[in-house]
Amino acid sequence: MLTDAQANAENANVAVATVLKGVHHTARPTWKLKETVHFYQDVLGLKLCHAICARGWGRDFETHPDFIHFFFESGQGSTIAFFYYLQTDKPADTVPQGSFVYNSVHTAWRVDTQEELVAWKEKLESQGYDILRVPHEILDSIYVVDPNGYAVEIAWQTREMNEYDGVDAKLTLEAAIAIEDERGDRVQAIDEIWQRKALLVDAYLAEKD
Amino acid sequence: MPKIYVVDLPEFSGLVKCAREQEGVEVSNVHKGYFTISSDDDLVFNRRKCGFKPALWYTCLSGGLDGRIAEYGRDTLRIAGKAN
Repeated sequence: MLTDAQANAENANVAVATVLKGVHHTARPTWKLKETVHFYQDVLGLKLCHAICARGWGRDFETHPDFIHFFFESGQGSTIAFFYYLQTDKPADTVPQGSFVYNSVHTAWRVDTQEELVAWKEKLESQGYDILRVPHEILDSIYVVDPNGYAVEIAWQTREMNEYDGVDAKLTLEAAIAIEDERGDRVQAIDEIWQRKALLVDAYLAEKD
Repeated sequence: MPKIYVVDLPEFSGLVKCAREQEGVEVSNVHKGYFTISSDDDLVFNRRKCGFKPALWYTCLSGGLDGRIAEYGRDTLRIAGKAN
């Protein structure tokens, strides 16, 4: 049975724009409840804002365990969430914790100034956490590892992205995909992409505005 | 004749500055967001002179490379012409 609001929405029958409005949550599994709550709530200082505590349910072919799904506020309406699974043990990692593949899956939170970034670094270091700071191209970042082994990044973006960023990104990916299409296999070295991209940039510069 | 393309973005400005300081290296005006840096001889850049941290150093040819990387060490990048 529909509520009045739902019925009105269905009847409106208007085209609604499909535009994303930022992050609601990212989610990870955890098998360390107390340690995870301590890190995100007490160390990072995020507010625990929601939790779902449920009996397992789901599709016939999937035996879903009971779980707690809990959320912490992480600014601008975003949250970070965890699934704490009961009746299960943590499966073996398919890639080693701390490896580049493992760390590639991560959340990066934004701060507004370099001073804020340094303040976060000092706050975490004062609590005994090892912090890695890496100045990237347009991000100045710090990294900390949470109790689950997940990399957490806090980043200050040093400038706004502009039209040139978008054009250059497009040409980079076109170069890589062109090589792979021709070869029928994956591109092997970044030098190949840089060399192919030079041809694309040449052509782009020769185009009339 | 090696040639590289450099996007006109602040983080890459050290590369353009270093090129302008070198005799025999030609730096174009920026056109549609790209500088072109070329030379009759090898193009050689020093990371510290460019003011680059490692993460940026290892992406500094991402604008495009018309040539061959002869050396890409922690502090020295040497680009030769394709036929060298």
